[in-house]
Amino acid sequence: MQSQTPLPDFIASLFDMIPGVSGDSQLVFIVSALIAGTIVGSLMLTQTALVIWAKRKITAAFTDRIAINRVGPAGLLIIPADALRLLSKELIVPEGVDRPAWDLAPLVLASSALLGFAVIPMGSLLGIDFQVADPETGLAYVFATASIASIGLVMAGYASNNKYSFLGGLRAVAQNLAYEIPLILTGMSVVLFAGTLQTSEIVAAQSETLFSLGAVAIPSWYAFVNPFAFVLFLVANLAEVGRNPFDIPEAPTEIVAGYQTEYSSVYFVLMYLGEFIHIFLGGAIIATIFLGGPAGPVLPGLVWFLIKIWGVFLFTQWARSAVPRVRIDQLIEIGWKGMLVLSFANLLLTAVIVGVIV
Amino acid sequence: MHHEFRWTLSLAIARSLRLSTAHSPPEVSRMSLEEPEPSTHGDVGVTEDGLDYAALEALIGDSVIGRESHVNADGFVVRPDDVQAVLGTLKSEAGFDFCSCVTAQEYQDRYESIYHLKKYDDPTQEVSIVVPSPRDDPHNQTATPVHQTAAWHEREAYDLVGIEYDEHPDLRRILLPETWQGHPLSRDYNQDKPQIVTLREHANPLQEDARSASDPDTMFVNIGPHHPATHGVLHVKTTLDGEQIADIEPDIGYLHRCEEQMCQQSTYRHQIMPYPDRWDYVSAGILNEWAYARAAEDLADIEVPEYAQVIRTMSAELCRIAAHALAMGTFALDVFGDFTAVFQYAFRDREVVQNILEDLTGQRLMFNYMRLGGVAWDLPEPREEFFEKVRDFLDELPHKLEEYHDLVTGNEIFQMRCVDTGVLSPEKAKEYGCTGPVARGSGVDYDLRRDDPYGYYDELDWSVITEDGCDNFSRVLVRLREIEESARIIEQCTDLLEEWPEDDREIQANVPRTLRPDPDKEIYRAVEGAKGELGIYIRSDGTDKPARFKIRSPCFSNLHSLAEMSQGEYVPDMIASLGSLDIVLGEVDR
Repeated sequence: MQSQTPLPDFIASLFDMIPGVSGDSQLVFIVSALIAGTIVGSLMLTQTALVIWAKRKITAAFTDRIAINRVGPAGLLIIPADALRLLSKELIVPEGVDRPAWDLAPLVLASSALLGFAVIPMGSLLGIDFQVADPETGLAYVFATASIASIGLVMAGYASNNKYSFLGGLRAVAQNLAYEIPLILTGMSVVLFAGTLQTSEIVAAQSETLFSLGAVAIPSWYAFVNPFAFVLFLVANLAEVGRNPFDIPEAPTEIVAGYQTEYSSVYFVLMYLGEFIHIFLGGAIIATIFLGGPAGPVLPGLVWFLIKIWGVFLFTQWARSAVPRVRIDQLIEIGWKGMLVLSFANLLLTAVIVGVIV
Repeated sequence: MHHEFRWTLSLAIARSLRLSTAHSPPEVSRMSLEEPEPSTHGDVGVTEDGLDYAALEALIGDSVIGRESHVNADGFVVRPDDVQAVLGTLKSEAGFDFCSCVTAQEYQDRYESIYHLKKYDDPTQEVSIVVPSPRDDPHNQTATPVHQTAAWHEREAYDLVGIEYDEHPDLRRILLPETWQGHPLSRDYNQDKPQIVTLREHANPLQEDARSASDPDTMFVNIGPHHPATHGVLHVKTTLDGEQIADIEPDIGYLHRCEEQMCQQSTYRHQIMPYPDRWDYVSAGILNEWAYARAAEDLADIEVPEYAQVIRTMSAELCRIAAHALAMGTFALDVFGDFTAVFQYAFRDREVVQNILEDLTGQRLMFNYMRLGGVAWDLPEPREEFFEKVRDFLDELPHKLEEYHDLVTGNEIFQMRCVDTGVLSPEKAKEYGCTGPVARGSGVDYDLRRDDPYGYYDELDWSVITEDGCDNFSRVLVRLREIEESARIIEQCTDLLEEWPEDDREIQANVPRTLRPDPDKEIYRAVEGAKGELGIYIRSDGTDKPARFKIRSPCFSNLHSLAEMSQGEYVPDMIASLGSLDIVLGEVDR
């Protein structure tokens, strides 16, 4: 039986080396868990900080531009420069906003996405297993925490006392309702294959060889086993994280910036961060349940894991640069009439296949 | 070779889009000097040698109290309370279905509204309806029930000149704020008197109720004047029912720059000429210049040398390509969402045209290339280099257009968004006085370059593009296909210019240093701008400055149709429709 809390356990074992401190005590365990959470959280926040730079470079590559290249080598120093710029701006609190809901919304948005990373197996680096917790309900937990973001969107939209924000908030709810069900149903089909909700087990189930192409062994990643579910999940995930063609809740050309119209300075940074952590969480879920988690040759697991989530990020940016946005009614139609039916079909088919063959 | 290739290409693309029904073979719609098709309306007064104004006068009989002769057409002076009757009769019996412009002005003894009427089938058949009204109490009947477009034109006349239009559905100021004191183009208006209106007295758009009083289920939203997708400072007062549009009203005037007044205070030859560049400032500069040049040259009987006409035609079409590329890019921006590849591609390709225009004119934005009677200078030396540059651009264009068709018009989501949204029927398009790609996207076959030829267009081989879809998608297709046609024109002009004998390269007619057209001549002349019919009305008074200078902006009339297009549609469709109208606020507000 593997440990249910790999990373905190490892940190607790470090505490154990200090004379007089017992690694088994409750207090040490809580402190270790906090440290573990901080490490994983910081890792993801570092990734999102990189986004500030990478996003521009990626979009520029798609749209025939150069983008930042003056601030530091290849424009990398734009990261601290931007952080400083955004944080030093005035925090404008519009008249009539509904506090504290208005203040809490950015926090809810940013933290809900971070929470999900607690159960993601990020692979190991130098023998350390980067996973804060590995409960048996892992996948259900991830989807549950990711859904909290919807509440943040409604709070932001409703509390801002702005009609554009309000429209954006309404759109966000409609969209998340329409797409979370197909998203979770498609995730369920993977659970049927793996027979468990535990994320580490799902990853382990993907390590077998599906078939061999000469010397290259193709692993039984669920993206290869069930490409249909993979595509469904990718699309539903685009809607879930609100990227083109589904960036309806923000839709700059229609409703200015949607739910985040009235946010400035630190709150804006939090909103922005939340958005990108959410994209990364989407990438992490896709990597975990479809792309074999941290599995990959030569490089350490953690590096592979990061490569995979950046790959998903690249995909969202690609969609953003090239695909037109659908209209809100079309989005709802695609969600309820298309994706939902397809995801149910996928689930049923998977259930039959798993029931008959396995 | 290139022509055939381009046509096969565009047809192949069309077929792949399953739109081929909308395309007629080039031979059919190709520009020619054939007679216009017979009008479905009556055609009283149409004869072989132009309009028989006596027959028209007989038609409207008793209402006529006088006759005027303008340079472009004869004018009938009619009684102020007979406007609807006269315009209605002329529309139904004589086929004058296009109220191009309403010019209002004040004389020493009277006010005057001139309705410039034309036919969509043949814009060379023109008639002016002149409506005088007394100075102390200027009133005349509105033309709105006959020509919807007159509603806005009359509001502008009321706003700037001060004539009141009886029975007008909504006679408010349109360009200036509600609180403005006086009418700035009237004779006794004191230009120096400051407008003392406290901020509190200004209408505050934020204070309006969130819900309209009559319908508690709707929400009032101000889209603009500061909004990412209103293409400038346009304010659209929108009432939403959920996400659908219950009612909208474009509120313009934020970029009003007194353009007509500026022209009235400037000299014909030197001061007005560079100014049109500022009207529609997104790459349509030379097209604007031509509108003024054409009106002023016809007013003063200036004959432009043929060589200069070819250069004008070429440079104008270069401008049209640049303007259409920008329209395409910004429309994609509105529909795609964020800054996307299409916008950047459009700018990348527009840049090539901009470079050519820079070589030619020395400028990139305010070209100031045309002169009354010709152009500023000949093609840049070495000429071969310039021609090569133009040819390179033309050679690469089909490939680039194919890319747009792949990326934009061929995209299924794009089609989902644009097909059958923002529908403007041909009848409505005519009623609102729409012209340019907006009218042609509704199947109205109207293009001044063919129908009222000027420059060198009638010597060249090209076609007028129309699409029958009447929706946002059609308008985009029209623009993309017009780029192909402009390229054909440029190619032929380049050939002509290259072979033009060196000793015959006359770029400028003989024009008096100070131009003083004969007094009391009136003219309304229009050219096909990037956005549609850009017309200029000038009345001379014998001095070197016009007594009245009126700009008929295509964007102004086209924007008027926005409410018609977006009624009951979703907000994103309204934004798309607005984008497909391709307005430039500098030209709307003037």
